[in-house]
Amino acid sequence: MRNSDRIPTGPGASAAGREQPPEGALSAPAVGRRDILRAGGAIGLSLPFAGGIGALYGAWTAPAQAAVTGQCVLGVTQEAVNFNPLLYVNTGVETSVEFIVFDALWKIDPEGNFVANLAAEIPTGANGGISADGLTWTIKLRPDAKWHDGTPFTAADVVFTLDVILDPKVVVRSRSGHDHVASYEAVDDHTVRITLKDSFAPYMVSWQKTSIIPRHILQGTDINTAPFNTAPVGTGPFRLKERVAGSHIAFEPNADYHGGAPKLASLVQKYVPDQQTLYAQFQTGEVDIFDLQGIPPLLYQKAQELPNCSILLSASPFVEFIYFNCGKPQFADKRVRKALYMAVDKKGWIDAVYYGVPIPTLSYLPPNHWAYNQNLVDPGFDPEKAAALLDEAGWTVGGDGVRQKDGVRLAFTMSTTAGNKSREQAQQLVQQNFKRIGVEMTIKNMPASVVWGDYTVKSEFDTLMVGWDALLYPDPDYGDRIISTAIPAKGGSGSNYVQYQNAEIDELSARGVTTVDQAARKAIYDRIQEILLDEVPFAPIFAYQTIVGVLDRIQNYRPNPYTSINSWNTVEWTAA
Amino acid sequence: MADATLMAVTIAPPRAGLLKRLVRHRLSILALVVLAVLVVGSAGAPWLAPHDPEELDLASRYAPPFAAGHILGTDDLGRDVLTRLMFAGQISLAVGIAAMLVTVVVGFSVGAFAAYYGRWVGTVLMRLTDIMLCFPSVFLLLFVAAFVTPSLASMALMIGLTCWMEIARIVYSQILVLKSADFIAAAQMVGAPSWRIILRQILPNTMAPVLVAATLNTANAILLESYLSFLGYGIQPPEASWGNMLTNAQSDFQVDPWLAVFPGIAITLAVTSFNFLGDGLRDALDPRTAGR
Amino acid sequence: MARFLGYRLIQSAFLLLGVSIVSFGLMHLAPGGPLSLYTLNPTVTAQDIERVKALFGLDRPVHVQYLKWAAGMATGNWGYSFFGGRPVVDIVLDRLPATLLLMGTALALALVIGVAVGILSAGRRNSVFDYASAVAAMVALSLPTFWFGLLSIFTFAQTLRWLPAGGMVSTGGGGFVDRLEHLILPVVVLALVLVAQWSRYTRSTMLEILDQDFIRTARAKGIRRSRVLLNHGLRAALVPLVTLAGLQVPLLVGGALVTETVFGWPGMGMLFLSALNTRDHPVLMAILMVGAVMVVLGNLLADVLVALIDPRVKLGHG
Repeated sequence: MRNSDRIPTGPGASAAGREQPPEGALSAPAVGRRDILRAGGAIGLSLPFAGGIGALYGAWTAPAQAAVTGQCVLGVTQEAVNFNPLLYVNTGVETSVEFIVFDALWKIDPEGNFVANLAAEIPTGANGGISADGLTWTIKLRPDAKWHDGTPFTAADVVFTLDVILDPKVVVRSRSGHDHVASYEAVDDHTVRITLKDSFAPYMVSWQKTSIIPRHILQGTDINTAPFNTAPVGTGPFRLKERVAGSHIAFEPNADYHGGAPKLASLVQKYVPDQQTLYAQFQTGEVDIFDLQGIPPLLYQKAQELPNCSILLSASPFVEFIYFNCGKPQFADKRVRKALYMAVDKKGWIDAVYYGVPIPTLSYLPPNHWAYNQNLVDPGFDPEKAAALLDEAGWTVGGDGVRQKDGVRLAFTMSTTAGNKSREQAQQLVQQNFKRIGVEMTIKNMPASVVWGDYTVKSEFDTLMVGWDALLYPDPDYGDRIISTAIPAKGGSGSNYVQYQNAEIDELSARGVTTVDQAARKAIYDRIQEILLDEVPFAPIFAYQTIVGVLDRIQNYRPNPYTSINSWNTVEWTAA
Repeated sequence: MADATLMAVTIAPPRAGLLKRLVRHRLSILALVVLAVLVVGSAGAPWLAPHDPEELDLASRYAPPFAAGHILGTDDLGRDVLTRLMFAGQISLAVGIAAMLVTVVVGFSVGAFAAYYGRWVGTVLMRLTDIMLCFPSVFLLLFVAAFVTPSLASMALMIGLTCWMEIARIVYSQILVLKSADFIAAAQMVGAPSWRIILRQILPNTMAPVLVAATLNTANAILLESYLSFLGYGIQPPEASWGNMLTNAQSDFQVDPWLAVFPGIAITLAVTSFNFLGDGLRDALDPRTAGR
Repeated sequence: MARFLGYRLIQSAFLLLGVSIVSFGLMHLAPGGPLSLYTLNPTVTAQDIERVKALFGLDRPVHVQYLKWAAGMATGNWGYSFFGGRPVVDIVLDRLPATLLLMGTALALALVIGVAVGILSAGRRNSVFDYASAVAAMVALSLPTFWFGLLSIFTFAQTLRWLPAGGMVSTGGGGFVDRLEHLILPVVVLALVLVAQWSRYTRSTMLEILDQDFIRTARAKGIRRSRVLLNHGLRAALVPLVTLAGLQVPLLVGGALVTETVFGWPGMGMLFLSALNTRDHPVLMAILMVGAVMVVLGNLLADVLVALIDPRVKLGHG
């Protein structure tokens, strides 16, 4: 889910930013606005686990304004509180720490290629790493990697990591892919062999998303509450130096890093709870990189005029949807869902609420993804056609101006996190769109802890406005969200909250995860996207883009559309 | 408990002269006038408001005050601010008054039953009151709000249910005094049922202090509603309350500070008026403090 | 005295027990819960959520969960945060000092200004000052705290640039002056309501006392008005004022929450809000209990002080 969504929110939590004025309407002084740190903002930005939202703005002693040579300050609006890569829930700010302190067996570069990290090479069929049936994976590990305390990294650590993931007593957030594992063993100190129960194509991604944790430190401890979770020891390019609650986390370079010594002298993740305050600090140079939630779209135009920095649009895996609960009588007919999709002014939404920054998409994948079906045809914004389609489906306008059929009114609620201002604006636009074709939509927002609880999981909603990425992004598999056996409300296991059922989708999804050949897979996912666009169990609106600000003194910062956070190559960063 | 010492426990004075004394309290009159304007403006919004409160006009967002056709400008979706203020007043005032009614009903019931029945009923009820008082009200309110889908009714209920304790204590102590009074004893002797004694004898006699507390509670409820909105648990869009408008205005402060100014003024006016009115009522009803 | 204290302590313990039962019940019976955060993580599936639910013990009956929590609490184990795995005690202790600093400073400021204004008003009853302070106090009581905070940030931080707009120390700063600068706006905003209450209350208390015989006697003896006011009046007013201080704790705690939010002050209020959003039960319970303890202690302190200062107060039940 998009950061903002996870964020239990308050007004303004929207990742996509605070609202803005029409161009040229800015009158108040923009600089140094600490703003109106709205509780809203604060609540919104408050992290799930953040021990709070406080802002001991920069309690560290080095004066940040006088940019310290070799020091890079990464500004974030949420506070990372759990650094255990298997336990934290907050993808975003905690992923950032994970990338800085830990390593996985391989990482993914901005072109989408896997690059060996703790593994010596990427296992393939050709090098014997993956057996012909796709069931046996033999992974060779680097012999020269060390933990931050000097202990050598070995196959035992990989085995231990799997032990922990599968340990029923540990609160790992997800077993994403590892639940397909039948058995695993350390063949020798630098080789691991894993056998899968069934062929599972996304398994490469599972390992790319699994950071390895140290056996010698965690074995025999209660991992759920281990001090390790706030004082991590990894193999990564930086080691944790200091953490000040409500303020910042400082990292120092790991000179022995197996990928070469980092070029930075220090790296700081600074926590400022308000997006616009953070922007002000970026302007004054107190913060070198403004990523994650990013610059509010409101300030995009202005930011581009700032000297000594570059403003990048970083593609994000998150797609904004309207989720239709197909289990409700109003949405059982695909023509209704399709008509509603056509009634929504997607461009107006993107332009008015997000100032044109996000990219329109017709699929659950962003348009820049390799598996995105470029042949999808946008049904377009067409209220007349939408109305005609509803007429055809038998939903006729009743005396109260609302369509109905067989005693069911075409009226429903739309929910999202209460107080998320961007979403609330969008809801009001959509509400007007629907009203035009005789459909009554009521906004029913709730606190994050309520709306995303059973209300979502047990499919109690009518419609949701929500931003989600694919399960094991960048793998295009979407089975858990669309196959008929994944409906929790019907006792299934998965996250098919829209209760969508389609035999062809079930078959295609099953084939998609077992097919290894990329071209063959693409054909399968093209078809899945085509069906989904025709049946619209959820209406894709746009893929988010983060507006990232980077000061010119920082070099080698490279946005990576395949990760949720751009600190994937901190080892290469330099700070003049 | 200690705060009993804070409450001037007095039996209501004769009604005569109440109005006269209230009139003498000039600020209360001013408050009444302001409230009348606010109530008429809000209640009459469907007829008086210059625009449709939900009519979006993205082409003219963030228009400043006195912009063409919009006396107080427009908001983030191009809606007329004056119109929104008037309709928002309906919600804010309704929440305030409804919450006040809840505090009166709950507070009175708890206080009356506790005092009238005494013994363990009284102990249990008054200890419950003490427990409720141990939560700082904003904490308690937020705590409850986090679990509830906001609507006019739910907000009024939540606010009311977190603020009835004072009235319960007032009623409790008033009735304890009254219970020893002769006319109650007389009613009991002739065998009047207890609910009847409560309704017929005790209710009117505790009216005065409860009325004062209720007025002040209305002010407090309006404030609390705005806090709830501010902290992200307000009424659902497209409807708005003053607090909600204020919350929305914050992220636009840089662009259009006026958006935050008007609802803030509306809240302050309403709350101040209710407070002055309550103060005036107190003076009018309690001759002891009248001259002060 | 000892008996009185003992009685009140036992009573307080029962109060706290009640508070914990009510909070725990509300928290667990309400819809939604801490696992919503997991729902939002794309790699998490419904089975993962069920698994984590069982691990947190959230699948067990509420009373079982409560007893487990209460047993922990009784033995000094406040539990661990659902989301950081950190001991709740540590998390709370990280934040408590900031809140105490804010509340303490605001209370002290309010005491000084409020009492001074109250005495002056009482001394010059019905003067312009008296009326003006009465109206000002009423308006102060009616201002939405956060609105006042926002306006003060707009004025003093953004427009005039005199003071920082939020946080506790500035980047690279941390000196005494820097911290003081950060403290000013939040303290003023939080103290405003308290000043209003104190001034009104001091005034009416003083007036009541000034009417009493011993003051009249003193006046008759020719002691100067201001001396009477300060020496005799203030001393007599001490009891009700101390009581008010104790009873203001809930207001103070609640006000601190809103103020912290407006100014990004990293205290308990902010912690409470974030814990509320994530439904981090152990942290929430801890904060509610700390808040309740403060309120109960405030009450108790008020009672005890009154008893110490004014021997006429009968120590007894309630």
